[in-house]
Amino acid sequence: MAVVEIKRLAQALSKEYNTPNPDLAKCGQYLSQLKIALIELQYLTHEDKHNNIEELTLARDVLEIGAQWSVRSKDIPSFERYMAQLQTYYNDHSELPASPLKYNLIGLNLLCLLSQNRISDFHTALETIDPEQLHNNPSIQHPIKLEQSLMEGSYNRVWSSRSDVPSQEYLFFIDILMDTIRNEIASCSEKAYTSLPLKDAGTLLFFTNMEDILNFAKERDWKVNPVEQKAYFHSDADEKISIPADQIIKQTMFYARDMDRIV
Amino acid sequence: MSDAPRRSTRLNKNQEEEKAKAKAVDQDVEMEESPAGSSTDAPKEKVLGAKELEALVIADIKQHFVLFTKSAKTHEARFAIRALRSVSSLRKRLTAQALAKSIVGSYGKDDEARKRLLVYLGSEALTSITPEDEAVVSKYDTPEVDVYLHLLVMIYLLDKGQLEKGIELSNITIKVVQELNRRSLDQLAAKVYFYYARFYELTGRLAEIRPTLLNAQRTATLRRDDDTQSTLINLLLRNYFHYNLYDQADKLVSKITFPENATNNQLARYMYYLGRIKAIQLEYTESHQCLLQAVRKAPQNNVTAGFQQEANKLLIIVQLLMGEIPERSLFRQPVLRKALIPYFQITQAVRVGDLNKFQETLATHAATFNADKNYTLILRLRHNVIKTGIRMISLSYSRISLRDVCLKLHLDSEEDAEYIVAKSIRDGVIDATIDHEKGFMRSKENVDIYSTNEPQHAFHQRIGFCLKLHNDSVKAMRFPLKTVNQDAAEVEAARDQERTLVQEIAEADEDMDEDHDEL
Repeated sequence: MAVVEIKRLAQALSKEYNTPNPDLAKCGQYLSQLKIALIELQYLTHEDKHNNIEELTLARDVLEIGAQWSVRSKDIPSFERYMAQLQTYYNDHSELPASPLKYNLIGLNLLCLLSQNRISDFHTALETIDPEQLHNNPSIQHPIKLEQSLMEGSYNRVWSSRSDVPSQEYLFFIDILMDTIRNEIASCSEKAYTSLPLKDAGTLLFFTNMEDILNFAKERDWKVNPVEQKAYFHSDADEKISIPADQIIKQTMFYARDMDRIV
Repeated sequence: MSDAPRRSTRLNKNQEEEKAKAKAVDQDVEMEESPAGSSTDAPKEKVLGAKELEALVIADIKQHFVLFTKSAKTHEARFAIRALRSVSSLRKRLTAQALAKSIVGSYGKDDEARKRLLVYLGSEALTSITPEDEAVVSKYDTPEVDVYLHLLVMIYLLDKGQLEKGIELSNITIKVVQELNRRSLDQLAAKVYFYYARFYELTGRLAEIRPTLLNAQRTATLRRDDDTQSTLINLLLRNYFHYNLYDQADKLVSKITFPENATNNQLARYMYYLGRIKAIQLEYTESHQCLLQAVRKAPQNNVTAGFQQEANKLLIIVQLLMGEIPERSLFRQPVLRKALIPYFQITQAVRVGDLNKFQETLATHAATFNADKNYTLILRLRHNVIKTGIRMISLSYSRISLRDVCLKLHLDSEEDAEYIVAKSIRDGVIDATIDHEKGFMRSKENVDIYSTNEPQHAFHQRIGFCLKLHNDSVKAMRFPLKTVNQDAAEVEAARDQERTLVQEIAEADEDMDEDHDEL
């Protein structure tokens, strides 16, 4: 397929995607056609050096729409693939004009890593970002603040971050994150409290109706006392401390062998 | 590197040089019979004219030629290493004239390399050549000498700041080295690659040479060329770090094995890079081990100040992230004191658990931390500050209301405080329970540590370490084969050789440090 053809397709795609209510299935079709075309011209494999700035920008724009489209259609693996392909355009082609979507997408990627609890990848990705943008760009600051709150345990702040997302696509990942957080809070509560009134447990876990709370309590295997309206947690005080005999024998043998060698 | 520590290293270096000169004057009295010895050159600068000095340089280069040839003929790397060690002392004295004369003296008149190198040296050098220089030509048939002269010209260009010329010449030299498959070239090749990358770094074109370095690394690995391999690995890592591509650096590290026989200097650098990668990936314990090794393997003198400062900065942050507080004495070392001031303040904030002070320090020194590329790592410390704060509160109060916790730690709200305390309890930072209805946190009684398995673990670790140390030292011991009946003269000669060797090692260390400073 010629470059002209790709241009036509890309225009059709961006037109469709930027309507208020895009037809996601149709965009998907456009995208798969475009991807095949781009691969034929080796824009995605980078076996040849391409120098035409206009064409490279075109390929990048298509990939950017693809990444956003993946988020809208809730397809995380596809989003990750698009991001991986975009990395080359962001890092190695400094001659391209800066894309307005770049930091928005990088922020999304950070959030995606966070929602899957891939903290070490999150920090590695953070290092590649220009420090100037790191401090000032709202799309980047949002996931950074989120990670900080998560590490500290200020779950309240994570919950309220829903209201000030930089763009609509962020919500998808934040919703995934919420489930993770709920489980985090639950595991913290189990250790921190001996018992908790069900109503307070609800506020702590950001539940609004009683049924959800009860279901959740069941999932986590909490003992609920219906009369007192309280949930009791297991305490680890009655766990027995055993003597690690096996380990000690192994260690002592190891000492004996080495001592023998010295003496 | 930021401006301030750089300046301090320069200062240190000057002092160091002066000291070295003073020392050399003392030695001069004792060692009058050996005028060509490198240690006596420093004071001679004052006594001798430019002509004699030049003659000395040329004589030194000639001597190196002999060493390289010997090394190639006997397949003994140590002669080449010895020559390369004294390059650092030679570097300070290199002049275009001396180089031009050496070149004229060792190539045939129509040799292509001769013409090429002379062009790079500039017209000034050309005019200095007299017919008598050209008259005595002692040709060397080993390519080592050829590469060595290329290397010297490269160093000369680097010192004179002629970077574009340097890039051209280094490209040519790399080609020459790659075409020759000779084991006796290994040590030289490593140096050539180092300066090659240095030229590209100074002109900000590091990304371009990545494929070349990767290819060379592969070849060096296949040929088991330890010197080149270790140099190239470090160059590649440095290259990736320059563009913050930690992802790719990590992938490279996972696919290579760092040669065991690499020199300490290369190992120290490698450990530093590895420590940084691990720190970014939140593997603090491993990172700590690597950085500790890096700090210990690096030569401990004033000239390595740059490297020591960088490595220690990172080490401090990693220690803090692990929840340890670095020792106070670290910040008092003269080499490190000035550079570590911002880090010292951060450490204080973390130690006390004062969130406000932490944010203040972070704001004041943001530029320094950014320049050190440590800013994101320090940002992570925020929750360590809170943790320490909670631990202090839990230790001092047996019961405290969540409201007070919130006020003491300057948190946003009581709910936040509750979540944070709950998380610290789960993470094992404190041993306490929360009473939700009454809104307070109650600390549990301290458990007697000796009733647990903890002491046993600690002892096991220490015993393990001691045994390993013993085994390692047994492995490292070497026994000389010939110790019987050496006659007096031989002993004397051996001692002399030993003395020069020690000196050269010291100089080579300095050399490494200088390179480090530049890095």
